[in-house]
Amino acid sequence: MKVSLNELQSVCRKAFLGMGFSEGHADDAAAMVGWMQSHGLDGLKALHDGLEYVMASSTEGRPELVYEDADLAVVDGRELSVLASGNLAMELAYTKARVRGLSVIKIRHCRQRQLIMGYLARLADRGMNVTAFWRHAQSPLTEQVVGFRARSNVPSIRVYQLEEQPEEDAPNDGITIVMANHVDLLPTVRSDDEYALLARLDESDLLAVHQQSLAEGIGVDPDGWQQLKTLASQTLVEASEQSRAGAGPAD
Amino acid sequence: MTANALPLTDSALSLRPAATVMELERLGSFSPTRLSFARRLTRLMSDQGWRVSRSHFDLDDEGHGEAIYRLDTPAGHYHVVVFSQHLADAQRTDRVIAEAWDVTFGLVEGEVDAELMASLAANVPLQEAGRQHPRLLVISRANKSVRNFQAFVAALASGEQPSVTYLRESGYLYRTTAVYGNGKFGIADYDRLRQGTDFQHPFSAQMAAIYLLREFSVEQVEHIARCRDSQRVVDLAAPIRRYLGIGNSTGLGMAPFLINHPQLISQWVLVRERALALAISQQPDEASRTRLLALCTRAIAYLSETAIEDVPQATRNQVAHEELLQIVAWLEQLPLEDNSWAQLSEWALTHLSLETQELVNTLLIELYPAQVDALDDAMSVYEKLDLSPDMPLVQLKQIIETHFDWAIQEDYSNDEARYWFWYHSAEKEEPRLGVRGQEAGEEKELSLAVGPRVQRVYESLCAVLEAGPRSRTIDLLMAHPEYMSIVRRIQTMANTEYGEIRANLWHRDMKPMHLLRAKLSFLGAHRFDPRGDRWVRVAFFQGAPMLSDFGSAEASKETFDDWSFPLAPLGLEQASSAA
Repeated sequence: MKVSLNELQSVCRKAFLGMGFSEGHADDAAAMVGWMQSHGLDGLKALHDGLEYVMASSTEGRPELVYEDADLAVVDGRELSVLASGNLAMELAYTKARVRGLSVIKIRHCRQRQLIMGYLARLADRGMNVTAFWRHAQSPLTEQVVGFRARSNVPSIRVYQLEEQPEEDAPNDGITIVMANHVDLLPTVRSDDEYALLARLDESDLLAVHQQSLAEGIGVDPDGWQQLKTLASQTLVEASEQSRAGAGPAD
Repeated sequence: MTANALPLTDSALSLRPAATVMELERLGSFSPTRLSFARRLTRLMSDQGWRVSRSHFDLDDEGHGEAIYRLDTPAGHYHVVVFSQHLADAQRTDRVIAEAWDVTFGLVEGEVDAELMASLAANVPLQEAGRQHPRLLVISRANKSVRNFQAFVAALASGEQPSVTYLRESGYLYRTTAVYGNGKFGIADYDRLRQGTDFQHPFSAQMAAIYLLREFSVEQVEHIARCRDSQRVVDLAAPIRRYLGIGNSTGLGMAPFLINHPQLISQWVLVRERALALAISQQPDEASRTRLLALCTRAIAYLSETAIEDVPQATRNQVAHEELLQIVAWLEQLPLEDNSWAQLSEWALTHLSLETQELVNTLLIELYPAQVDALDDAMSVYEKLDLSPDMPLVQLKQIIETHFDWAIQEDYSNDEARYWFWYHSAEKEEPRLGVRGQEAGEEKELSLAVGPRVQRVYESLCAVLEAGPRSRTIDLLMAHPEYMSIVRRIQTMANTEYGEIRANLWHRDMKPMHLLRAKLSFLGAHRFDPRGDRWVRVAFFQGAPMLSDFGSAEASKETFDDWSFPLAPLGLEQASSAA
């Protein structure tokens, strides 16, 4: 079935509220999923595949800071969804980049890492150059690099195959994000000669998908959609005679 | 009349302060102006030469079936598709929980082929329960004013014009009960409309759909009358056609819009205030005095002949009627000075009711179309609440104290100040008001009341600042992630000229009707007739040109541009129509 972007974000927002997210976190999580889905990046699939993590994260609105200095922060994601507190971690990095010109933040042990792109888009739209990368623990080992230019809310995305797995990256459940206030960060941080390029999406590809979403609606899985509506219904109050009184004429 | 050069900046204009304008009761006294979206539509249709043709009209003798109107603008083409069905009287309700209506309709972008028509026929009549096509820009539904409808059919079928007495009480044959845009139930997102040229302006697609329903209402009633007696039938006389509007029944469902779109509402108010300041800054002359007198006289007649059921509103109208008579006397007697309009506005502010004050402002804005209409395009705004996490906390504190003083001064622990709570009912997710501590659902309260949220932030902020005077906004949010939404809102709205609606939406004395009227005035609704404190009936396009006027050599510029405060046509009841 097809839904509109506004409808998708609205239902997601209510679903997150229904799960127990605070208002701001529900707004942001819905925007992240909506951004992903409307750009063809399967935000809903990522949401549904990790729904247990999202629900477990619903009351965790605060990133756990492991280390912080003026330029750098390390956050423990505690195996929770980036939808829960990824926004605050990103705002922390944004603040450091605004103040110092450049910042690096590492979120360790987090789930649904793809969805962070939906928030990075907002930061880029606010004038920040952003590059994020993370590795997938699969065979072969791959690394995804996402680069946003300042004032552009669509990224370039590259997926590379890595030859060897460095020891320090064994868990493969973290994200590294670099933000620069004035410097244009390149989305390609490695040479194509050394690492095989497995997938590539450019800004124009993503913009075209977004336009198509606006023109034709966004395809969603009916069962998943119903699941979101059920979660959203937890924000509703059952009607009663008392509640109907004053709700309009019954002519 | 003399027109001064357009001041280019707000600083060159004497804008009224936010503390005055954004007070809820004042917003709830606004009357539609020439910048209102209904007025803008007919101006645009005339200026750009929009063409409308009826491409399909398949109704049975009772007026049930389908009709399609094609709309061609210089930039694109659209269709309004109408489905009319029999509706038992028992099913006819204005409540949002209704499941069937006399007519349902939608505005479609582009062509309507058989496949799309089948999709529309299967879903548009279901409204919220349907899965709507993404090429639909608007869907809506309307119920008949049964008394007017029957009287019109009976009169026309017997060769007579209907009595306009009925129209003075409710100026329409149909009233819409919801008009949906912006992606609702699968229709096109507003983001898509923003990329085009015809419906970028807020609610312009909705206005176009309602306008064409008005045309359908006339053609349908004439069709039924013709089927009833093809020998004696007459067409509806042109003056009565123009006096017909489209009604609208609106309840609390409209209220959250004003809170959830603060940037848009602030911008609408800013444009209206710019228009008023521009008008007041003009140098009056005899032509503008004569014009203002004519407008006052028409408004007086409108208030006099418009029947309003709601006693408080009828009383306000009566007071405005009497006060406008005082203004007429003032205008007739006082010598004109350079600042006469400022004097008039000031006198109204200090001596007249809110209703009259804002009515006078509407009339002043009406005087200077050349200056005011140029502001039309500024009604749109890209809505985006942005966080500034690096903002020093001391600056955020100052912003709150400057722009949200009304919010932090309230004592929300007082029972009166925390009387209401807002929630969404499981019945079609309709917004409702409950009494705190008495009605169920408080734990699922909507956070529509901005004031208490700002106060909570302020209190926490002071504590964080005390511990760390050099703290930034991010430090507050790391300690209180739950403030993300409201801090974003505070920082964004502090950068707007008019900011937030200044009201405690929890307070027992809060009137949600003011929220409804504020929005309805910008849309262009008149004949404001509250039903209780949470429901209102209004009319759109009463007095507006009909489609036939757009191609008519007899139609003047005033036909398209000067139809506020419509007056009932007289002496047509017994005349056979030559329209």
